[in-house]
Amino acid sequence: MGADGGLANSLEAHRKYLLRYALFQLRDASLAEDAVQDTLVAALAQGEGFQGRSQLRTWLTSILKHKVIDLVRKRGRGLPMDAVQLGEEDDSPDGSFNAGGRWIDPPADWGLPDAALESTQFWRVYQKCCQRMPERHALVFSMREVMDMSTEEICKKLEISTSNLHVILYRARLRLRSCMTKHWFGADHE
Amino acid sequence: MYSCEQASKLSSQAMEEPLGRLQRIQLSLHLMLCRHCKNFSRQIEFLRRTSRKLPEAIEKDLD
Repeated sequence: MGADGGLANSLEAHRKYLLRYALFQLRDASLAEDAVQDTLVAALAQGEGFQGRSQLRTWLTSILKHKVIDLVRKRGRGLPMDAVQLGEEDDSPDGSFNAGGRWIDPPADWGLPDAALESTQFWRVYQKCCQRMPERHALVFSMREVMDMSTEEICKKLEISTSNLHVILYRARLRLRSCMTKHWFGADHE
Repeated sequence: MYSCEQASKLSSQAMEEPLGRLQRIQLSLHLMLCRHCKNFSRQIEFLRRTSRKLPEAIEKDLD
């Protein structure tokens, strides 16, 4: 085992994390496996530039992000990214409001929600709720909220307009908020 | 006066870009008077904070 063996070992240590990260977005174990495999190959190919990196996981994750985004885009090829063309008109998204623009199921207080962040069960519910969104809405939401990409970057990468981005994020937030209320904040759990 | 639908849409949009002056004033007025929309706005901000911590949570869950 030379230097390459050492590199391979340290990459293996991050594989599990990367797999979970990919699975969150791709929802398919073998697709996630492929994305991580490609990421590690790309990392090894750049082996020299990699030597001095202290934030190995951050670097690997940034390679993986782009692989994941490309995979979701490819899988949805042919489908319009545009929210209006998806048949979801601007008014009354997913039945949250009545014709007068009033809440059908008004958002109740969540109390002090930050305490939930310590719960493993909470995170499982959160991930399940994200995966209930239409896949490409989930991708946009994740690019903005999990990956913390700028709106400009997202619009450019997905070739959508700013107003489309706003509509998709709004829908995603309505849906996630309502799912988290149903399955966590308004539900019985330990 | 904004409807709840308009107010919640603008609360969401304000997380991406600064609103115009008039929109900002009308939105804060609505949020002052409507606790449902106030809850909504707080909750989507909480969900952003939560989402940014997902990588950390995945890491913790591995141990």
